[in-house]
Amino acid sequence: MSEPTALRISDDLLRPLLRTSWRFYVLVAFLGSIVLMGLGSWFYQMYRGFGITGINNPVYWAFYITNFVFWIGISHAGTLISAILRLANAGWRRPVTRCAEVITVFALMIGALFPIIHLGRPWLFFWLIPYPNHRGIWPNFRSPLVWDFFAITTYLVGSLLFLFLPMIPDFALVRDKSTGLRRKIYGALALGWRGTTKQWNRLETAMQIMAIAIIPVAVSVHTIVSFDFSMAPVPMWHSTVFGPYFVAGAIFSGIAGLIVAMATLRKFLHLEDYLHPVHFQNLGKLLLLMSLLWTYFVFAERLTIWYGNEPSEMAVFWVTQRGSFAPLFWTMVICNFVLPFPILAIKKLRTIGGCVVASSGVLVGMWLERFLIVVPSLGHKYLPYSWGVYSPRPVEIMITISTFAAMTLLYVLFAKFVPIISIWELKAGGHPSPALIPPATAEHALGEAYP
Amino acid sequence: MKAVYALYPDGASAQRAVDGLRAAGVAERDITVISAMPMEDYEFSHKDKATWIWWIASGGGLVGLCLGTWLPWMTETAWPLQTGNMPIVSWWTNLIVMFELTMLGGILATVITLLVTARLPGRGPELYDPEVTDEKILVGVKNPREGSVPEIERALLSSPAARLKTIGTP
Amino acid sequence: MTACHAENNIPTVGADQAARGRAMHWIRVERYWEGEFPDVRLKFRPVMCQQCDAAPCEPVCPTYASHHTAEGLNAQVYNRCIGTRYCANACPYNVRFFDFFHPSWDKPLHLQLNPDVSLREVGVMEKCTFCVQRISGAKIQAKAEKRELKDGEIKPACVQSCPAKALVFGDLNDAESDVSRLSRSPRGSKLLEDVGTLPKVTYLERQTQV
Repeated sequence: MSEPTALRISDDLLRPLLRTSWRFYVLVAFLGSIVLMGLGSWFYQMYRGFGITGINNPVYWAFYITNFVFWIGISHAGTLISAILRLANAGWRRPVTRCAEVITVFALMIGALFPIIHLGRPWLFFWLIPYPNHRGIWPNFRSPLVWDFFAITTYLVGSLLFLFLPMIPDFALVRDKSTGLRRKIYGALALGWRGTTKQWNRLETAMQIMAIAIIPVAVSVHTIVSFDFSMAPVPMWHSTVFGPYFVAGAIFSGIAGLIVAMATLRKFLHLEDYLHPVHFQNLGKLLLLMSLLWTYFVFAERLTIWYGNEPSEMAVFWVTQRGSFAPLFWTMVICNFVLPFPILAIKKLRTIGGCVVASSGVLVGMWLERFLIVVPSLGHKYLPYSWGVYSPRPVEIMITISTFAAMTLLYVLFAKFVPIISIWELKAGGHPSPALIPPATAEHALGEAYP
Repeated sequence: MKAVYALYPDGASAQRAVDGLRAAGVAERDITVISAMPMEDYEFSHKDKATWIWWIASGGGLVGLCLGTWLPWMTETAWPLQTGNMPIVSWWTNLIVMFELTMLGGILATVITLLVTARLPGRGPELYDPEVTDEKILVGVKNPREGSVPEIERALLSSPAARLKTIGTP
Repeated sequence: MTACHAENNIPTVGADQAARGRAMHWIRVERYWEGEFPDVRLKFRPVMCQQCDAAPCEPVCPTYASHHTAEGLNAQVYNRCIGTRYCANACPYNVRFFDFFHPSWDKPLHLQLNPDVSLREVGVMEKCTFCVQRISGAKIQAKAEKRELKDGEIKPACVQSCPAKALVFGDLNDAESDVSRLSRSPRGSKLLEDVGTLPKVTYLERQTQV
């Protein structure tokens, strides 16, 4: 990389940190107020009792669990894409990785809040943690909710570290280019990073190991979330396909979230020179692949159920396909398959705008998919005498909306304080390891070190 | 801390300087190369150097596995309660916690090893120049041997674009 | 049902909440109509916690609030419950109930609370316990009098109050007790047996005239 271009990278990507317009403050105030309203709703729920939600007997889980699964699903984009593309040595990942990893961390944090929000006695959530106590009691390791705790903690720690480690050299860059308090803070965050060959080697190797480790963790996390459902004898929950089905759905919704986030960043931070249409096209192709995979899973599951004709399962089947949930079900199918398929399959339509449209549809569709997994089954369990209906109440809607605002707010704040595109990784793309360069182009790319 | 170093505008001249320093008799571990990005297409990056970190990560995973096996077993036997038709120590379900803690152990071992071996957070005076962030590559020697400074300076000036600097009085 | 409410301090939720499906009837009497008018027949089926031997509500509770006692009952420990409501989802019989609000009673019902049964607070799950307070009370009494429990000595509130003596309670481990003999009857069947919960409650089919 010649010097002017590399300097321009630093300038362009540090500009959001160093210059703030009034629009930023307005946006933060707006999003912050929605988040505060959501927090207020939650405190009101704790004060008045869980009854102000729409939950009843038998639909004991609804919006909050839908949101839980949805946000944990979104979190699969980041680290999975970043880790898989790193292991596959896909160079186009370089501008995309940090955007993706940030989504993972924040979506995970928001998702992990929901098991606490949905508790009847949330102030006692810490009883899920195995800590020694004088009563000698422990959590139940057979419960999928305890597995959730371990899985989400591991994934959160892993993702946070996976995000933070490559930020260290960029913090060093900001430290060296700033003064005063900013210099002190970023200096502390940079942990004294200098950039010696030893440090780069260690960092790159550590990232390689983390990438290998984080992929099975990500797969296991959403599998364990799916176990929350498949371990219960509820019609259309007790399905062996739930593990892979949920993971595929998670990656699907995660890529959609990533595309939307990247397109927004590209527009508002003027990153047109860094996030090219080819990035969106590549992600769009991945999104198409996941859409087909998701459709395959849904088809395989529903065909098996319909063919089996088991009465309690068919009750849930028909209520989603033809009954009261049919409008939501068919909207979901349109949003997840019918709409994205032509947009992403036809090259002329697979533009940035097209990808954003398809992704927004997928986000809506996947939220509906989670809802349609949770509520119809609970409303139609084995004993028809006890069937029930559910409708959401304002507190649940408010908290749901506020989590979207919280995600956006966290993302906006992150982009303000940390370069949203990994500067050193982008520059390092110009210095690839010789092992990665096919022999034919070797002589074009390298310096005189390699004759 | 004393040091002699020079800043280079590109990898090729930095590589020449490193080669020159080696020819001047400076030991490999005394040569410091600092850059704003990993430059794996140059030999000075030592990309293929052997490392123990994979073994350490696996060791961390092993520790996590042991913890993940012991914790559910210990709690299930310490407070045995019958649930469903499952055994008191239920290995099918314990597998999940075992897996998660194994991965957590590997991840934490990797990160701790990184921080320790990269000497992060840095303490004490270290050889560094903020111009590195302006895409310069720093090649130098920290605490050079008595009398070796002229040879080092000659090696460092092998490239015309080099800018020589010193810290302290070597 | 009323006896159960009275014995176990079950709150009345009010007409609005009941309409939204939050009534807390630890035992409910399901009513089924068979046949076409005028040959209609009415069947009643009281459903309470089946105290399953392979209860799906037990392994899923993260805090062991729902577990199996040595006597074979499914215990619900209110103090340990953090209200995840997973047990209620796992229960195929829908016999677990959640305290959506802080329990309250319309006056003057607040004066007839049973001191033997703890009051629950908002956010915990509750369900039929086979009147475990009466079981414990009878066991303590028998132990104090240094004798064995007699068959039929313990009567949960529902069993005691049923005028038709339709409900029978006893020790299933005692092969000679009424409840054991009746559970072996060819008229007997269990609810949702194929789900594999191993429920303890046996329902006896009415004998029909041929």
